[in-house]
Amino acid sequence: MLILGTGSRNLWHFKLGVGECNNKAEAIDDRGVSRVSAAFLFHVVGEKFRIGNTMEQEDDEQQQVWSWGAGTDGQLATGRLQDEHSPQLIRSLSAYGPIVSLSCGGAHVIALTSGGRVVTWGRGISGQLGHGEMVNNLQPKLVKELEGLVITHVSAGWNHSGFVSETGAIFTCGDGSFGQLGHGDFNSHCYPREVSYFASKPVEQVACGMRHSLMLLRGNVENPVYGFGSGKRGQLGISRDSVKSSSLPQITMGLENLKIISIYANGDHSAALSGDGSLYTWGRGFSGAPDAYIPCHFDAAAFPISDVALGWNHALLLTGEGEVFMLGGDRHGVLGDPQKTPSTADVRGKSEETMMQIIPGLVNLKVVQVATGAEHSAFITDNGSVMTSGWGEHGQLGLGNTNNQTEPRVVTLGRKFTLSHATPRVYCGSGFSFILERHDVSS
Amino acid sequence: MSYDDVEIEDMEWNDELQSFTYPCPCGDLFQITKEDLRIGEEIARCPSCSLYITVIYNMEDFQDKSNKKLEPPKPQPVAVA
Repeated sequence: MLILGTGSRNLWHFKLGVGECNNKAEAIDDRGVSRVSAAFLFHVVGEKFRIGNTMEQEDDEQQQVWSWGAGTDGQLATGRLQDEHSPQLIRSLSAYGPIVSLSCGGAHVIALTSGGRVVTWGRGISGQLGHGEMVNNLQPKLVKELEGLVITHVSAGWNHSGFVSETGAIFTCGDGSFGQLGHGDFNSHCYPREVSYFASKPVEQVACGMRHSLMLLRGNVENPVYGFGSGKRGQLGISRDSVKSSSLPQITMGLENLKIISIYANGDHSAALSGDGSLYTWGRGFSGAPDAYIPCHFDAAAFPISDVALGWNHALLLTGEGEVFMLGGDRHGVLGDPQKTPSTADVRGKSEETMMQIIPGLVNLKVVQVATGAEHSAFITDNGSVMTSGWGEHGQLGLGNTNNQTEPRVVTLGRKFTLSHATPRVYCGSGFSFILERHDVSS
Repeated sequence: MSYDDVEIEDMEWNDELQSFTYPCPCGDLFQITKEDLRIGEEIARCPSCSLYITVIYNMEDFQDKSNKKLEPPKPQPVAVA
């Protein structure tokens, strides 16, 4: 029996002896290299053959992963180079054991395993996958260069990646043409390389945007956040004037002695959240508002904010009560529709209060997690439903079509089995989405 | 409607595509060639979706092909292992 992948590049052929479930599954790539894979699950003539050892089988049953949306760089991990309009159940990650989190970039994905290992796939032409080459990978692949380290936090930007280790070291790879790797030059790197500036300043978190990166330091330090890369829209927050770029880390101003617990970057936007639920934003202005060159306290929110997600032109703010507010959403769900799209001039000069809006369709629901792609949004409700809204041209809403949605709609995952005590988490890249659902062994 | 207005200096020269490019929210790149710019075209399109951007540039800068000050704004990144 022969199952053929449909991708035009890196075509994969899977061979399996019919009815011989003890046979090895052989994957042969386009260079004719044969690889033995023990973690694929095949459905053959209505019969189910499981190939793999017991541990992988258990992992597979405690974890389900789906992807959908733009797929032309292999970012969906389906092994194909095509868009998917509905959630696709992904099996190719089960070989790596429990996945604790994902980070999705322009067209690549970084997965962090429970053991602190890193797996990447998708677009790799700038070296952002960290495998020492500048090619796309249609299948998840372990980043060997980081083996031996326990990685605790990762972030995928447009075409670059950041990895933070247990000891607070920060490694970057990918496109460096705006200085976004922080090595003091404008070179790209295809292996993760330590940012030496932070050798004596342990890092807690990394956030990678389109052309910039932010770092959050550990502990109570006077200056908790640093930025590097493009600063044209103020996204580094390092000067009251526009800074074209900085290839070395610089202190982000205006956050002195604040207890920052999370940092966020996407597009040309940056944000930080403090322990008391205060939000600070800088970079490109929302809805045509002026760019902010240093962090501004967002005081339109009269309630503590528990989480934030940034898109390229909008942001989602989640409150502790499970309410969601959107910033800059005037074009959300109406992209490419000239009748519905207001011009930037219409909203220029509006205050923060009017820029912030409640999302129709979520009013009576309690939301527990939010995520944003460049122009789409995803929500997890307290009953475990996945909802999406925004731009849908590549199927990134997972609703089975390419329509835009101004109001969130429920995504049908098509679970093969129901995990007890499992809450899905959603992660969005520019034009695609992933769901990770794990059985919570502690509950 | 144009997705965004982007200055030419914020676009990157891509040798392989022989175009100036800028990230598209779908994950692909908005693209426009020097020839397009020379004839006054200001719309950079994405080959993968319906979106396009308006490129802000000075058409005179692209009139004379031999004009050396029109080199791409940034050198292509060099891969370092």
